[in-house]
Amino acid sequence: MSYIPGQPVTAVVQRVEIHKLRQGENLILGFSIGGGIDQDPSQNPFSEDKTDKGIYVTRISEGGPAEIAGLQIGDKIMQVNGWDMTMVTHDQARKRLTKRSEEVVRLLVTRQSLQKAVQQSMLS
Amino acid sequence: MQDRLHILEDLNMLYIRQMALSLEDTELQRKLDHEIRMREGACKLLAACSQREQALEATKSLLVCNSRILSYMGELQRRKEAQVLGKTGQRPSESSSPADRSPCRGRVCISDLRIPLMWKDTEYFKNKGDLHRWAVFLLLQLGEDIQDTETILVDRTLTDISFQNSILFTEAGPDFELRLELYGAYMEEEGALAAAPKRLATKLSSSLGRSSGKRVRASLENAGGSGTSPILLPTPTMGGPRYHLLAHTTLTLAAVQDGFRTHDLTLVSHEENPAWLPLYGSVCCRLVAQPLCLTQPTASGSLRVQQARELQDWAQVYGVLKGTNLFCYRHHEDADSGEEPLFTIEINKETRVRAGELDQAAGRPFTLSISNQYGEDKVTHTLQTESRGALQNWMEALWQLFFDMSQWKQCCDEIMRIETPAPRKPPQALAKQGSLYHEMAIEPLDDIAAVTDILAQREGVRLETPPPWLAMFTDQPAALPNPCSPTVAPALARTQPLPWGRPRTFSLDAVPPDHSPGASCLVAPLPPQRSPRSRGFCNKGPPHTWLQSPV
Repeated sequence: MSYIPGQPVTAVVQRVEIHKLRQGENLILGFSIGGGIDQDPSQNPFSEDKTDKGIYVTRISEGGPAEIAGLQIGDKIMQVNGWDMTMVTHDQARKRLTKRSEEVVRLLVTRQSLQKAVQQSMLS
Repeated sequence: MQDRLHILEDLNMLYIRQMALSLEDTELQRKLDHEIRMREGACKLLAACSQREQALEATKSLLVCNSRILSYMGELQRRKEAQVLGKTGQRPSESSSPADRSPCRGRVCISDLRIPLMWKDTEYFKNKGDLHRWAVFLLLQLGEDIQDTETILVDRTLTDISFQNSILFTEAGPDFELRLELYGAYMEEEGALAAAPKRLATKLSSSLGRSSGKRVRASLENAGGSGTSPILLPTPTMGGPRYHLLAHTTLTLAAVQDGFRTHDLTLVSHEENPAWLPLYGSVCCRLVAQPLCLTQPTASGSLRVQQARELQDWAQVYGVLKGTNLFCYRHHEDADSGEEPLFTIEINKETRVRAGELDQAAGRPFTLSISNQYGEDKVTHTLQTESRGALQNWMEALWQLFFDMSQWKQCCDEIMRIETPAPRKPPQALAKQGSLYHEMAIEPLDDIAAVTDILAQREGVRLETPPPWLAMFTDQPAALPNPCSPTVAPALARTQPLPWGRPRTFSLDAVPPDHSPGASCLVAPLPPQRSPRSRGFCNKGPPHTWLQSPV
């Protein structure tokens, strides 16, 4: 999942559709994100490439909407409702997920296990 | 009264249009239509614009359009008269005398215009009193062609009014008259008095002090038509800034020189006029003229040239008469391809040309001889043309050249350089004279949370709490260092303004960001030993944090 600047990024992705849960006045998704182009990528425990400044899922609340939808820890979020998440700041990413007007977010996520699964299926 | 003037103006326009149509002069008609449309556009713009600079530009374009319409109108009337006279049988005499030539046209260019100002000592050096500002521009008219310069803002810190651009007139005869007029408008700082209704304004003017009251009254009166027949039409109907004629002068061929010259200005306005500027009374400029006879070939054809002295030595050449030289090329194509001519015969005021029978050898008709005096020597070239018609053409061209040289006088000594005026840049937004704070920009604009995030990153805050991802294993949302904390705490701990070059308002920093959706925003107070000085304010550096946010 490393990228070369200027070259298109390709990845095997999985669609995850999360329905937000209303908790009082707020709509929550039930996970935490880390990363961003304004953050220090070397501290990211989930990324394979320590220069990857993408947005990663760092924590999933048990029983929350994200877990139900199939999101996993360590997933890298590529898109949210069509908006790109590979080149955003941390705060921009958070905002794109927490829009009050949207009740459903459709994510495109990628994980290393996916990549491996596809490679294995191609070999066999 | 104003409505009546409006109607009269509209009627004028209608009449002008009809005249143009009836004359079937498509060129003039097209130009007139264009100017009328521009004028309407300028009127609308003037009515709609709110900023003073826009109003100034719109007023100026309105005035220029008016003046052009006026001149086209005059031209139309002349042509109409000529047409009418022609129809009623009054024809000018048929036979024109051979000496009845019209000189060739030329290009006239005026550039590097500079008008010196004469401020009082107290005003210029000591900078006392309010800063009065004026907007000035020059209007130049040559024949039908009216052109204007850019608008320059003048205040007492300027010693001269300098216009950068150069103005080119293409169709000028040697008897041209270039009329130059300087228009100025006083830019009031308040701006309210000009728009006030008349009765209120007169009340105000009578209750103000003497000098300011005089000024106000003068600006309210209709100040059109000061001086002898200015180019501009008065526009009493339009609101907005009023341009007054300040000075004028007329330049002719005598003023043309390939260099800078100073000419006198006739000052028109007096001190009572609100737009009065202390002009020194002269204008410096570079006025050059390029007659077409110097830049374009006037005759060409094949010739046989007899070298001086050798009666039998005739060379076949292709001659091109251009400017003060007769270039003789070996071949026809050489003239166009830029090859060097075989030789060049100079033709100037001293040259003598004679057609005919000089040294006539049998069977060599149609010759002409050109003699030049170089000091003691007299050099004569004899040229033979192909036919009588060709000979006539050459003689005609030479006579025309001599006539042009006599008319254009000093312009024919040498070709004067004319630079193509650069395309005029659109009027730049006139710089506001405000405080530096007006030019400040905070990016991103109005997102307080984002701004405080930027603040946090600039400072490179290092928290003395366990690394954030450890919390993942303990699964305690409360222990997560909240992204609020690094941003709020520095704000609270700061007591002096930030030393990086931009002044900031404190309120921006003091408001705690409110961006967390659900989880409690724990404001972790910073340990007291952290001092503002330890943070590097001005160096951005690589990011040191890997924040996490719950969503």
